Amino acid sequence: MPSAVRPKTFISGAGLVWRWQRILWWIFIVNLVLAHFAIRGLVDRVSPALAHSSASERLVNGYDLTAVMELAVQPDSPLETPGPVVFHYSVVFAVFMIFSTGGTLATYVFDTKPSTTAFFEACGHHFWRFVRLLGYMALAFIPMGILIAICSAIHHSIDDKSNSPYPAAYFSGASSLLILLLLMVLRLWFDMAQVIAVADDETRMHRALRRAASLLKHNFGSLFWLYLRISLLAWIFCGLGLYLWMYQLSPWSITTAFLLTQLMLIFWIATRLWQRASEALWYRQYQAVMVPEPAYPRSPAPAPVPYSTAMN
Amino acid sequence: MLPSLSTVLLAATLLLFAGGPRTVSEPPSAAPNAQAPEAASSILNSPFSTRVVAYAIDAKLNTTSHSIDATETLVYKNLTGQPQQAFPFHLYMNAFQPQSTLMTEVRMSGARGVGADSGWNEKNHGSITVTKLEVEGAGDLTDKMQFIQPDDHNTNDRTVFQVTLPKPVAPGASVEFHMTFHDQLPEVLYRTGYKRDFYMIGQWFPKVGVWWKNAWNCHQFHADSEFFADFGTFDVNLTVPQTEILGAGGDLISSANNSDGTKSAKFHSEDVHDFSWTASPDYTIVEDTWTGSAGPVKLHVLMSPGHMKSAPRYAQALKGTLAWYDKNIGPYPYDRVTVVDPPHGAFNAGGMEYPTLITAGTTWYMPTGVLAPEDVVNHEFGHQYWYGMVATNEFEDAWLDEGINSYVEAKSMAALYGENTSIINFPFATASEAQLLRIEYISMPDTDPITRFSWNFISDNAYGGVTYGKTGTVLLTLEKVVGEDTMLAALHEYFLRYRFKHPTGEDFLKTIEDVSHQDLKWYFDQAVYGTNILDYDIWEAHSDRLKWWEKEISRKKTTDEIYRTYVTVHRKGDFIFPVDVVVKFEDGTTAAEHWDGRDRWVRYTYDRKTKVASAQIDPGNKVRLDRNFFNNSYIVQEDNRATHKLENMWVFASEWISQFLAWVS
Repeated sequence: MPSAVRPKTFISGAGLVWRWQRILWWIFIVNLVLAHFAIRGLVDRVSPALAHSSASERLVNGYDLTAVMELAVQPDSPLETPGPVVFHYSVVFAVFMIFSTGGTLATYVFDTKPSTTAFFEACGHHFWRFVRLLGYMALAFIPMGILIAICSAIHHSIDDKSNSPYPAAYFSGASSLLILLLLMVLRLWFDMAQVIAVADDETRMHRALRRAASLLKHNFGSLFWLYLRISLLAWIFCGLGLYLWMYQLSPWSITTAFLLTQLMLIFWIATRLWQRASEALWYRQYQAVMVPEPAYPRSPAPAPVPYSTAMN
Repeated sequence: MLPSLSTVLLAATLLLFAGGPRTVSEPPSAAPNAQAPEAASSILNSPFSTRVVAYAIDAKLNTTSHSIDATETLVYKNLTGQPQQAFPFHLYMNAFQPQSTLMTEVRMSGARGVGADSGWNEKNHGSITVTKLEVEGAGDLTDKMQFIQPDDHNTNDRTVFQVTLPKPVAPGASVEFHMTFHDQLPEVLYRTGYKRDFYMIGQWFPKVGVWWKNAWNCHQFHADSEFFADFGTFDVNLTVPQTEILGAGGDLISSANNSDGTKSAKFHSEDVHDFSWTASPDYTIVEDTWTGSAGPVKLHVLMSPGHMKSAPRYAQALKGTLAWYDKNIGPYPYDRVTVVDPPHGAFNAGGMEYPTLITAGTTWYMPTGVLAPEDVVNHEFGHQYWYGMVATNEFEDAWLDEGINSYVEAKSMAALYGENTSIINFPFATASEAQLLRIEYISMPDTDPITRFSWNFISDNAYGGVTYGKTGTVLLTLEKVVGEDTMLAALHEYFLRYRFKHPTGEDFLKTIEDVSHQDLKWYFDQAVYGTNILDYDIWEAHSDRLKWWEKEISRKKTTDEIYRTYVTVHRKGDFIFPVDVVVKFEDGTTAAEHWDGRDRWVRYTYDRKTKVASAQIDPGNKVRLDRNFFNNSYIVQEDNRATHKLENMWVFASEWISQFLAWVS
């Protein structure tokens, strides 16, 4: 990868997100609406208990944990666990994200304003490919799961044997960081496979994964640094947001708290899209600079890319 | 004043250069001889208690096999008023076996952090074997020992044995038992055992039962029960490797190194009913002093590795609690308190009380906003009064110890750390001990009365919820009836009247009636002996035009309109309790009502030129036994701020779960 293209990728990726910010807003709105539906039943149940009771002041003028506990332990508790419902809606959102990724990446790869039809055609065009990719990802999670189990066992062993709690804590911190980094590498690998699938209209996902692995292997530093520094920005911003929410906002600043939390979410989604845009841009520049020498035979007669039509 | 870290380091350095390990305190100058208990006392010039027992134990710890070999001499003074021939003894350590009553109950219901249906780990095996039992004048009676199971007839339970003497011990006479026994310690479970090189040794020697209510009281070891024993003196000689740092529930009389790499430390304690000790080479010792109305008290805090940040928190909490008790309950008559901080992984040894020694609990990352270290020290020290000195029967009247102690804990923690912030104190979240007690209670409100024997509750949760939560809440609610000052005065009187006397529940309740000059039977019958639920709610609160059949007066003349307001208060539960009701109107006026609560409901009617704004039962939330505070009021004007606040948090959490799923897919 020629070094000349590197700095541009990071900034230009952000530019792509800004330019096609409609994607960002739609993802945010879908996320918000689904979350709203996920907890609607819970809110409807808890509202009658709170809306006309002076005891709810314990939640307005602060956040008295025992007030929530009191609601939870009532025989006819309005606080039924919303876990399953929230999970179902989260799965719907995840499917939505898999679906929309084709259109999103096509927008970033070709950097041309798509029509709505073209956008959704791209979404549909790549959807099943990404579902297959998800299957591969599930396989990739198996060794990760084993690694997590091993780290956990080592942690317990150290914790059991060491008189000081610190060695186990340090190990736990280090292993968690390692696992997080490995998960990020895994995510980056699959991100690049998705970019390849869209940019080259690669139909075979195992091939896309192999090409992405090869790319990652030869350009690991630049690609991972590109991914990591955007992640760092996201974590810093969200950490700051949490700090403001928990420590600086007054307990009764409910609207401000809502705006702040949603701002954190918007920024989080934006940084995720920034990663996708940067990866797409990186791959575009990579294709432009490098003499295309496909490592693997191209798939025969690729189907016309809908975006080509759109661009014409 | 708390010692600085440098003081602690200096003390540790001095110990290192002193050529060997040291125990937790300097020998009291007035105690040159371990066999002279009367002279050993620095505070108690005459016995506070009726000394029924005198134990002399010589024990050697084997850190390789995690076992103890010991001899015990018990002199028992027969003050029962009648001849005694059969003597029961506790062998608590035998509970750590899979077929014991304790483990059977744990398997059924869980307890002390061990979940129900949890598997058996051979490391948790513990036992105590009495290899020889002789009685002065009667010879070797080892063959006469017989395991008995007074509670459940589980013949696999060997936590109580009985020995019958060839001839009875006359009233007023003494009998001397000589025993040789061997303890195999479990990896820490149920307060006792070892973890790596840490040892917490409690309930470790054959302990004679208590003659109480004209019978022997010597229950088996249960999952949800603690202990009961007679007062007396303890002279204990502990032999441990020289590297060990010792702590014990007694004054250190002497300590000397032996030629085999061990050291022997003699401890003496009097007017107590148990003796526990701890050993670890890894302790850091923090010492402090507090002076109360009975004189100075040495504070020894034995900190485990990685926990030093919590040492000042322990010490501060201990001194604050000592001062609170000294002011409100009575003097602390002993000259020492030892706080043992169990190391990580030995959590089950924490949160326990023994005479003049308590075990605490913390972690290396304990945030200052979580007042768990302070709370556990406050709670366990409180036991020095109720379990330690008043010494009620924890098997049969657990509420008199744990419950009263929980009430005082709520009061003292609120005084020390804030009314609403005594457990959790963050800018974004708070919780108080009093409210947590109430939550414990209302999660299991009606399965068992407070007075049930501790092992007969429907579940471990019910034992905790009722014994700790309900009793504490019952006493907090009683403040509404007799007044807070009277409640504290009653506790003060109860302590002074019954310390060292093993009182009963009736003694406690009668003391409250005596001090308050009130007949409280109506309350005790429901709250203490019953399982009644207390729950009042505002059934309705609304206003209607008095002349509703006439056309509504135009807005200009609304001041002439008279409204009839109806407020209906409903007793949902079967607990009858008089309550105050305050009705507020839109013009700022109020109406105060008092209802005896005997009927199922009462309706108040008002004709005023204003509408009702709100109705509230028990405005100060003093009736803490009320199961649901949220239905105690009705505000006409809807206020959705609390709902929106929760909604925002839940939406945010839901969004992030979605984001996570999207990231991994």
